[in-house]
Amino acid sequence: MRPVAWRGSLRIRLLVGTLFWIVASVVVAGWSLGGLFRQHVAAQFHAELKTHLDQLTAHLTIDEQGRPALSVPLSDPRLERPYSGLYWQIDDLATGAAATPGRLRSRSLWDYVLAAPVDAPADGEVHRHRLDGPAGTRLEVIERSIQVDERPETAAREFRLIVAADEHLMIDPATRFDSALWLALGLLAGGLVIAALVQVRVGLAPLHELRAALGDLRSGQAPRLEGDFPAEIAPLVDDFNGVLAQNAEVVERARTQAGNLAHALKTPLAILGNAAAGRDDELARLVATQVDAARKQVHYHLARAQAAAAGRLAGARTAVGPVLEGLLRAMRRIHAGRDLELVLHPISPDLVFRGEEQDLQEMLGNLLDNACKWAAGRVEIAARLDTGGLTIAIDDDGQGIAAGQRDAVLRRGVRADQQVPGSGLGLSIVGDLAQVYGGGLRLADSPLGGLRALLSLPAANGTTSGSPGK
Amino acid sequence: MRLLVVEDDAILRRQVVAGLRAAGYVVDAAADGVDAHHLGDSSPYDAVVLDLGLPQIDGLTVLRKWRAAGRDMPVLILTARDGWHEKVAGIDAGADDYLSKPFHMEELLARLRALIRRAGGHASAELACGPLTLDTRHGRAAIDGRALTLTSHEYRVLAYLMHHRDEVVSRSDLVEHIYAQDFDRDSNTVEVFIARLRKKLPPGLIETVRGLGYRLSAPR
Repeated sequence: MRPVAWRGSLRIRLLVGTLFWIVASVVVAGWSLGGLFRQHVAAQFHAELKTHLDQLTAHLTIDEQGRPALSVPLSDPRLERPYSGLYWQIDDLATGAAATPGRLRSRSLWDYVLAAPVDAPADGEVHRHRLDGPAGTRLEVIERSIQVDERPETAAREFRLIVAADEHLMIDPATRFDSALWLALGLLAGGLVIAALVQVRVGLAPLHELRAALGDLRSGQAPRLEGDFPAEIAPLVDDFNGVLAQNAEVVERARTQAGNLAHALKTPLAILGNAAAGRDDELARLVATQVDAARKQVHYHLARAQAAAAGRLAGARTAVGPVLEGLLRAMRRIHAGRDLELVLHPISPDLVFRGEEQDLQEMLGNLLDNACKWAAGRVEIAARLDTGGLTIAIDDDGQGIAAGQRDAVLRRGVRADQQVPGSGLGLSIVGDLAQVYGGGLRLADSPLGGLRALLSLPAANGTTSGSPGK
Repeated sequence: MRLLVVEDDAILRRQVVAGLRAAGYVVDAAADGVDAHHLGDSSPYDAVVLDLGLPQIDGLTVLRKWRAAGRDMPVLILTARDGWHEKVAGIDAGADDYLSKPFHMEELLARLRALIRRAGGHASAELACGPLTLDTRHGRAAIDGRALTLTSHEYRVLAYLMHHRDEVVSRSDLVEHIYAQDFDRDSNTVEVFIARLRKKLPPGLIETVRGLGYRLSAPR
C-alpha cells in the first residue's frame, strides 16, 4: 500500500477528517462530563457528611456523670441499620486512662470502632481522613474535636466527633453515571459516523453520476455529458461539454477544408483531362497520365483526411439499417443497367455503429459499389451483432479474388483488375477507416461464388431506439 | 436527343457541351441554378447533366424542384463531391446516376446513353425496329446490317423516334428534341427530315398519324 493512498480518495479524506472530530469530541465530552459529575457527587457527599457532623455537634450533651450523650437521635435511618455504610462515633479525648475511642457510636457501626488517627486539631476544626471500615470497606471520614465545659462543676471535657460513610456511596453513582454516559456517547458517535458515511455517499453521488455520464459518452450513447449536476460540478461539466463541442467543430472544419481543397482541384483536373483527350500527341498523353495520377492522389488523400478525422468525435452513433437502405437505393440507380439482384437480409434496429454516419456510408458504399461492379447478378448483404461488435458481410457472385491476392488488394492503390472502372483504392480505404474505429476488413470466399467482404466495427452498446431482441 | 448541361465553370461547361454536340446531341447549357431550373422546367429534355455546386440555387434543390413539379427526365449528377453520403443524397433527391469529376468524356457519354435508353425502356445500347437498327454508342443506323448515311438532323429525328418506337410522336415534340433552346425553329423542317428519312428507310416504317404526329413501328 502506498503511504499516501488516502490522498487519492475524496471519500477517505472526508471520512478520516469527520471520524477524527467525532472521536475527539466524544472523548473530550465524556471525560469532562464524567469529571464534572464526580466532582458534584463528591461535593454533595461531603456536604452531607458535614450536615451529619453539624447535627452530631448540636445534639451532643454531657450527662451528670460526665458521659457524652445525644439529646436527640440523628434522623437518618441508615445510622440505625448495622453496616449500612453511614456511621458516627464520639471519642472521649480525656487525657490518660480515661481516653476512650468509640465512647458513643451509631447503631450502624455495631461492634466496630473507628480508629481515627491521633492528631491535634484545633477546637472545632474539621479534619478529613480515609479509614478502614467494617467488613473491609473504605470510609470517607470527617471529624471535629470540641471542648465541652457546659457544667461548671466538672473540668472541661474534650470529645472527637466522627462521621463516616462508605466511599461506595460516593463512587457508585459516579460509576453508574459513567457507564450510562459512555453508552450514550457511544450511540451518539455511532450515529454520527453513520451520518458521515451517508453524507459522504450522498455528497459524492454526483461524481458517480458524472462518471456514468462519461461512460455513456465513451460508449457512444451520448454526444455530450448529460444530466443535472450540483452547482459545484456544473461549471466543470459545462466546460467539458464546451471542449467537446469545440473539438467537434475543429474536426468538422479540418474535414471541410480538406474536402474543399480536394474538390477545388477536381474541376481544373477535369478540364485538363478533357482538353487533352481531344488530341493525340506527346503533350496530350503526358497531361492525360498526369491528370490520372493527380486524380488518384486527390482521391487517396481526401480519403486519408477523412480517415484521420474519423472516430475523433466522441459520442457519435449511427443505425446501420437506414444507411444500408440509402446506399442500396443509390446502388440500384447507379447500377441500374446491370440487372443486379441486391438482397438486404433484415437488419435489426439494434445494430448501431459507434461512429459517424459519413464514415459508415463511405465504408459500406465502397464495399457495395465494389460488389456491384464485380457481381454477375447477385449481391447479398447481412449484418449481425455479437460480443465482438458489428459484423457486416457483403457477398457477390462474381469471380472473386484469389486468396493470394487479397492482401495486395487491401494495400494502397492496387487494382485486382484494370478492366473494371474505379480507383482501386476503395477496399484499402475501407480497411483504413475500419482500423481507425478499432475494427477491420477481411476478404473471404463467398458462398455465392465470388468475394465476401467482412467488415467488423464497434457497436454502440445499449439502444435508444428500437425494441430489444430481434 | 436534346440535353441540358448545368455547370458553373465556363471552360468545363464549354468542353462538355462540345463533347455532347460532337456525339450528336442537341445541347442547351445553364451556368447557375435559376437558369437551370427555368430551362429544365420549361423544355422537355431527354437528359440533364447537373453540377451540384451552383451559384444562386444549388443543384440538389434544383433537382428536387424539378421532381416535385413532375419533371421526370433522367438526371446525371456530375460533381466533384464524391462521398457516398453525397451520392445517396443526390440519388434520394431524384438523380438517376452519379459521375464524379474528373471524368472521361467517353464515360459521361456512355452513362448518358444508358440513361436515355433506360428512360425509353430499352435494355440494350442497340435499338432495333424490324430491319432497322440504331447503334446509340456510335451514332449509326443500319438496314439489315447495311449502314445508312444520315445527316445529323436526320439522325436526331430517327434516334428520337427509335427511342419512342410504337408511340405517336408529335411534330412539336420532335422540334423540342432536335433543336436547342436558342435555335430558330420551323416545324416545317421536321416534315422535310421525315420525308428524307422515308426515302432512306423501307416503306411503312414511319407512318403519319393524322392530326397527331408520327409513329415508328415494325411493319407487320
